[in-house]
Amino acid sequence: MDALLEEEDVSATEESSSAVDKERPHVEAALGLTEKWDAREAGREVAETALQQLSGKPDFFLLFSTIHYENHGGFEEFLNGVWEVLPEGTPLVGGTVAGFMNNHGVFVQGATALAVSYPHMDVAIGYGRNTKRNPKKAAKQCAEMIKKELVNSPYKNNFLLNFVSSAELMKIPGQGYKKVIDSGFMSKFVTLVFGLSQYLIQKGPGREDEIFEELIHYFPSHNMILGTSVDDYKGRNNYIFNNNFLLKNSLSSLGLQTNLDVTVKSTHGMNKTNVEFNITKISKDGHIIKEINNKPAVPELLRILEWPEDFLNEKTMFFRMLYYPISVKRGNRQIPVVMPFILKDSIVTPCVVEKGKVSILTVSGINLLDALQKNIEYFDGTIPEFGFFSTCGTILQTLGNKINLIRMKLLEYFKDKPFIMVFCAGEGTYSPTQGINYANMSYNTVIFRQNKK
Amino acid sequence: MRDDPVAEVLDNLMKFDEILACMVARRGMIDSVMPSSGTDSFKPEIYEVWDVLKRTMDSQLSVISEFSRIDLKKIDFELQEFDAMFYVIPETENALVAIVPALANKGLIDVELERARLKIYDLLKEENNQ
Repeated sequence: MDALLEEEDVSATEESSSAVDKERPHVEAALGLTEKWDAREAGREVAETALQQLSGKPDFFLLFSTIHYENHGGFEEFLNGVWEVLPEGTPLVGGTVAGFMNNHGVFVQGATALAVSYPHMDVAIGYGRNTKRNPKKAAKQCAEMIKKELVNSPYKNNFLLNFVSSAELMKIPGQGYKKVIDSGFMSKFVTLVFGLSQYLIQKGPGREDEIFEELIHYFPSHNMILGTSVDDYKGRNNYIFNNNFLLKNSLSSLGLQTNLDVTVKSTHGMNKTNVEFNITKISKDGHIIKEINNKPAVPELLRILEWPEDFLNEKTMFFRMLYYPISVKRGNRQIPVVMPFILKDSIVTPCVVEKGKVSILTVSGINLLDALQKNIEYFDGTIPEFGFFSTCGTILQTLGNKINLIRMKLLEYFKDKPFIMVFCAGEGTYSPTQGINYANMSYNTVIFRQNKK
Repeated sequence: MRDDPVAEVLDNLMKFDEILACMVARRGMIDSVMPSSGTDSFKPEIYEVWDVLKRTMDSQLSVISEFSRIDLKKIDFELQEFDAMFYVIPETENALVAIVPALANKGLIDVELERARLKIYDLLKEENNQ
């Protein structure tokens, strides 16, 4: 009798387990892609190619494009093309990127989208304006929009995708857009107006690090990812998408609450060297390193690195300085950052830095590949439904077409499940367990999976 | 090598601001494939130096001719304010050649030129099979 009962129990368990599997809601996630040059046609195509793979309306739509549509019809037309196809009211966030990767390839011209449909998910989007002028206010504006919509969601797994306008270079009178300003007079002028230019005309660093920290105060239990909109690394212009709005100097966020498992992870390939120095003087806003070891920053850095005086110029900046990132202090964290811009003897950093000890870091192509491998291994043994990566554009610049090696690794993990990797200029993740990770030259991942329970 | 689909690939490349000129060329610049409008589609800043660029390019195409069979993939050189990037078309002595400004963002351009090289390879292979 007992044996019979046991058999019946096992059989019931198998049946109910099979029934549960059959009932488990299906995640539909689809990629859109276009390489068209005409803005409107491209908008239509990227939306069509995604939606034709879904059986119903999407619950959200992520959209990323390279900057080229600015001169091929304009981004208003691009978004008009998207909205000709996308059902009205679909939550849409995204922006311009230097390039992107998905299951189909690596692209530095075109647009891609990720459309997701899933019944057990509540979605809200928000935006914040004037991010360079007042990052805290922008974060607050966006956070309030999202909180309002998700306050009654019964789902426990939280996620926030944040896309922020990145740095834009100020046009220097008589010099144009420069990464290296070697005139003493002009660099003094730029330093003086630096803060003013951020406030008045919103040129300068993106302040995405400050926005990210502020958003964490509003959503401390959320998993988050940060990316930034950028052009093709000229630093002239970039755009944010939020629904049918085309925004500048803004934040666009997608909030989700779901029963899907949501996990984030950041990795970078940088290694410490034994070359160290002290940042001894910074600007009031924390974005300009003025002195190192109590001496003017740039000459002292060149001396420490044993580089000749003229080693850094407009031509060589990208190929030299970007590959000597530094590890700077920010509160109780060490943040690896690149040094993208020189003002005569001062160095402009992409995020706020503090005085204190700094290490020079190095990174090679192999390190970058290993860092991606380590990132994916964190999710090993699990089957993704879809994934999103915000990654530093210097990785794309460093690896060039060898970036396809990264895509091969991602395809091994994702197989036929969709993923998008966007190349930005400022990125990070946050989770309640891992804390905040903001780092240049990093991979920042979010993977959505069916909950095992 | 008069192949419209290849010219279309080149036309696409010419839409990038930083690609000043491009072609598929071989040693002696014989039977080069140009974009659909020929050198008229090249960006104006290149015209002044085109002759000297052409001569320098041709010397590199000789190197490609000699070493493509041992899997030479790529050559770059910098001349005056320009970079010439050569992407050898596999199984040929031809190269996709692009001239860009010396300050160009070469990482991004590398991605696009590699894609173009593979498209051209597929097109040439298809042509040979017909």
